[in-house]
Amino acid sequence: MVDVAVVGAGQTKYGNHPLGLKGMWAEAAETAYSSIDGDFEPSQVDEAFIGSVAFGGAQLGNTAALLTEHSGLDNIPVRRVENACASSGFAFRDAWMAIKSGQADIVVAGGIEKMNDLSPERKRFWLGVSGDTEWERLAGLTFPGTYALMARRHFHEYGSNHDDLVHISVKNHMHGLDNEYAHLRKDVSFEKAQSGFMVADPLTLYDCCPTSDGASCVILAADHVAKKLTDDPIWVLGSGAGSDYLALHDRPSITQIKATQLASTKAYSQAGITATDVDLAEVHDCFTIAELLATEDLGFADRGQGGVFARNGMGRLNEGDVTINPSGGLKSKGHPLGATGTGQIVEVFKQLRGEVEQSRQVRDAEIALTHNVGGSGATCAVNIFGRGGK
Amino acid sequence: MSSNECIRWQGNLACLRIDGVMVKSRHTIEGTHVFGPDSDHTTLAVSGLSLLSDECTIQSVCIDGNIEESVLLACGYSIDEGAEWTISCGDEACVSISKGAIQKGRVDGFEINEVFHSQISDAWTAELSAVSQGAFVSEQAYLSGSSARMNFASQKLDDSLIWPPREMIGNNRPEEAMPLRASGIIESWTKLSAGGAPSEFSLRAPILEGISTVFVRLIDGPCGVFLIVDDEDELPSIGGKVGFAIRRLYAQNGMIRYGLKAIIS
Repeated sequence: MVDVAVVGAGQTKYGNHPLGLKGMWAEAAETAYSSIDGDFEPSQVDEAFIGSVAFGGAQLGNTAALLTEHSGLDNIPVRRVENACASSGFAFRDAWMAIKSGQADIVVAGGIEKMNDLSPERKRFWLGVSGDTEWERLAGLTFPGTYALMARRHFHEYGSNHDDLVHISVKNHMHGLDNEYAHLRKDVSFEKAQSGFMVADPLTLYDCCPTSDGASCVILAADHVAKKLTDDPIWVLGSGAGSDYLALHDRPSITQIKATQLASTKAYSQAGITATDVDLAEVHDCFTIAELLATEDLGFADRGQGGVFARNGMGRLNEGDVTINPSGGLKSKGHPLGATGTGQIVEVFKQLRGEVEQSRQVRDAEIALTHNVGGSGATCAVNIFGRGGK
Repeated sequence: MSSNECIRWQGNLACLRIDGVMVKSRHTIEGTHVFGPDSDHTTLAVSGLSLLSDECTIQSVCIDGNIEESVLLACGYSIDEGAEWTISCGDEACVSISKGAIQKGRVDGFEINEVFHSQISDAWTAELSAVSQGAFVSEQAYLSGSSARMNFASQKLDDSLIWPPREMIGNNRPEEAMPLRASGIIESWTKLSAGGAPSEFSLRAPILEGISTVFVRLIDGPCGVFLIVDDEDELPSIGGKVGFAIRRLYAQNGMIRYGLKAIIS
């Protein structure tokens, strides 16, 4: 079967972006096109998959058709992929499968979200649309609340504590400090993160990612095409995805995310590796507790040991076996919902090619993983990348 | 019982007598009983009916216009003008449920901050006229799930009890089962700041200084997430017991949505 590589990747800066949807997408696409070393024209693209929640409802229908016409992708099959915050992680997987199936040679996967042009109340409405509306939202829950319930239970079952989450926050802010694409580029001290404004007890402001505007774009190619487009392709070694019950109350445990476990097991198996082979991971830290759970569910830490992993600084840049979120993660880089998944892939594409700022470059990086979660864990896509093919 | 032997019941004051029950809000302003932050005549009425259900079987009731009929229907009562039991609403925050004369009597309550009470009342009025901004729990969806939401109506498949209801499990459709018992243990909890609460709660959450939610394992097995009643004084804790009462959840598009909220036992 054909192998698939990422041959180009680009994104906008995340944050309060002055451009609208069309402008942001064009900027991300243009950056991705220009990252391709060889001759490339958008007209070579066969299909496009665009992840977006369509936050705010500004372009809820036919989002992909609107965006692609503003990036030179005319008259090809396009569609919006929606899986909450995991939308573009799944868009990437769909693009990968389109090439794997032999139906396409060059495919665009991307994501976009415009979140900061809404009133606070309208924003709060949209932030709650991806949980179980009837049974969780009616009980007053949005995602800060859902993850707060998971955090407090993890503290109770495994003896982790809020300081463990503070370590994650501080680390990710430190990693994002020199990332020119990051939304929140600021050094946050342990004491400051410890004493943040309480959002959903026990989670404070410093446990929560920001709401960001942003777009990201990745270009995938079949092996026989990839080698014509670049001398330095980043190969997709494995792609796994999983799902779980939408509402917390239907899950056997609220201290682990089964969708992550299913997705990573498939991805590791396809790649022929284990967690210990991963040099860097961009994990979905929408809340610090989400990163703690991910380190366990992805196999970087034993069950219940995510707090110890964080406490001992094992995910810090070039300090442990694996660097977790060298981009700053969602916490610092930002979280434009639909753009996050492919934005993670932009980061690992550059990390594996040695193209990020030297101050945050993971040394000798050969294998990278991206982990993109929808909502409180109802959906998850895990993709694994390597400098060399399988 | 005499009127001096009223009990605290589901956060209210209830006086059980031979031919009925009187339920009053425990909150007062200068001695006059007023509704709590999430209660009204309907919530007092269902609270009284649940107390009476320990004493006798009530299948149908006669109600006045202050009671939300759909809540009583969801709780398994039919509405009948000729019913033996009549629910009458008083001028104060009080209901009488009786087979005979209207239940009356004085019972001491607890003073509530008048400014707080006024702010909450105004917020409810404003919330009722608020219009949804898009996807939301429609009236149809709310009503179709109301017996599970307000009466713990459950399902079963083989030996397993299921709540909230599901359509299919594997290749099977679960059967209707008896309501679950309204008691459980807190497995986790959080208190959301006003900024962390859904937009439906945006008017009242700042006045309440946040809203609290518990993740509960019911004693019959299933789990659920519930708001804590707005006038709960105690903080939740993991392992703590909770009971439940029907209270107002929020209002939207001219309709108050009711549901079970947790009360720390």
